Amino acid sequence: MQGSRRAHAPPLRSFRQIVEQLSYSEAVLDIELGLCLIYGMHSSPVVSIEQIRKSFGLFEAVRGVSCRIEAGECFGLLGPNGAGKSTLINMIYGASRRTSGKLEVFGMDPNVSSRAIKARLGVVTQENALDEGLTVRENMELYAAFVGVPARERKQRVRDLLGFMNLAHKENEPIQTLSGGMQRRLVFVRALLGKPELVILDEPTTGLDPAVRHLLWGKVNQLKAEGKTILLTTHYMHEAEVLCDRLVIMNKGEVIASGTPKDLREAHASGYVAVFETGEDFAALRTGAGSRSYQVLEDSSGLYVRAPRLEDLLDLQKEHGRQALQLRPSNLEDVFLKLTGPELNVDA
Amino acid sequence: MLNETLKLSWHIVRRNWWVYRKDFLANISPTVTDPAFMICSLGLGLGSYVSEMHDRTYLQFLAPGLAVGTAMFTAFFETSYGFYIRMTYESVFKAMLATPIGVREVILGEFIWVALKSALMVFGVSVVFLLFGQFQNPLNLLLTPVVGILVGVPIGAVGLIATCYVRNINQFQTVYSFIISPLYFFSGIFFPLTQMPEVVQLFAKVLPLYHGVVLCQSLYWNENIAAVWLVHVPVLLAYSAALLLWAYYKVLSKLQA
Repeated sequence: MQGSRRAHAPPLRSFRQIVEQLSYSEAVLDIELGLCLIYGMHSSPVVSIEQIRKSFGLFEAVRGVSCRIEAGECFGLLGPNGAGKSTLINMIYGASRRTSGKLEVFGMDPNVSSRAIKARLGVVTQENALDEGLTVRENMELYAAFVGVPARERKQRVRDLLGFMNLAHKENEPIQTLSGGMQRRLVFVRALLGKPELVILDEPTTGLDPAVRHLLWGKVNQLKAEGKTILLTTHYMHEAEVLCDRLVIMNKGEVIASGTPKDLREAHASGYVAVFETGEDFAALRTGAGSRSYQVLEDSSGLYVRAPRLEDLLDLQKEHGRQALQLRPSNLEDVFLKLTGPELNVDA
Repeated sequence: MLNETLKLSWHIVRRNWWVYRKDFLANISPTVTDPAFMICSLGLGLGSYVSEMHDRTYLQFLAPGLAVGTAMFTAFFETSYGFYIRMTYESVFKAMLATPIGVREVILGEFIWVALKSALMVFGVSVVFLLFGQFQNPLNLLLTPVVGILVGVPIGAVGLIATCYVRNINQFQTVYSFIISPLYFFSGIFFPLTQMPEVVQLFAKVLPLYHGVVLCQSLYWNENIAAVWLVHVPVLLAYSAALLLWAYYKVLSKLQA
């Protein structure tokens, strides 16, 4: 991000030149730009986390995590079940208190200014937690009141957002009549009622069919285009690849990797992957791939061989007279599996 | 700050009212019909074997206590089963707590709701009894909601505290059997406490419900209202404050891990 700003900035001039050539306001702007370049300053982060820890009794769920979420970016928080993602998110909006470390959201401490922080963010909670006793509109008008929308604006705000999430026709229906995908969309509406600057998406698409998932991805991109900052947790590596500008991978309460999806792929799992069917005799294939120093990962779902070039994998197939189930460029899932290890399934 | 807290708590009261009014008839009927049936069976049936109780008919003796009992059950069920279901099965608070609402507002909102609901119950039942001619002075009806609030808050707190301790919803039955039931049967609703051994009397007088019953009896019988209220209202206020604080800190640690 910093790099791109530098590229667009005009070359530095002396203060005297600036004053001679430009009007006063332009001069001030230029000085500010110059200062930004000199000191490397940029707008303060939306969320800043330093060495944060959280224990529940003897169990330490979050063990010294540090990261920053910048304004306008979509930041991903990935990791297996029990990695500490939700605990971290709960601490960000003050539902849970950290054991130690520093945490600032919009420059404020959630332990002290939880209400002021929550007024500026919206959460798509992991569970829908919609009020089943009420209709769609009642649910949303109640939440509009919770987030401080003035009474006379509530109806319109709800209507606009129901329209945005393609739910306008369900306005007067009870919650139970909505499908799973519709309920999830309604939770998005609920999170957006307060016009939040930061939108937290806690596993927003878990359990949804691909069509709804794609629809929601489109909506998230729209929110990004509006300049909202987004914090996303997910198990779906593809989702993170599609939506996130930057992400961290957590395991057992710690950050084990961070960067852009591209950086992570290149650093931890570059090249191409062949997936061979499970149940067959892998020995020869494994030895063959190993002798060429390709990465080999075997688990109950199959044998994953990663090589620098696609041709390498085609050669391997030919050599062993075997057809891979899949031949594809490496993706975040390969990074994830490599870093969190196949044994993660045992604890999950 | 406080203003904002009250405003947010009030939204929680509105939420509970919206859900409640959806099935208003179903929700209100047992609270009104139960005492009416009790009047018929106990008051008229059993009452015909009981000649007089403290210079009044058994029906006259029974009515105010039954009204207060309704407030107790309302408050207890609302904050035990009701709150527990909202908290665990419906996850209502999970989403609420992601908005500017905090645990403090949730608790305050629930207490305002429970107080109003208990007030409504005592008032509703008393209207029925008024129609049965149980009020010496019909104007006293207007004070019955106050008794509902004074009983509803401490009993509601007991329910909330129980909610924090139970491991599953079935365990409320134990709380009901060992706390709520004894309160109901030994607080002077069905017979004058003077009938009982002194130990039992002392036990009853220490517990909150007895004081609510005495307050309500003074209203129904139109006897020594000022003197009775001067003694028993402070007791219930003290109970309310202490139990409310206890409940607040228990729920706080439960909802804000």
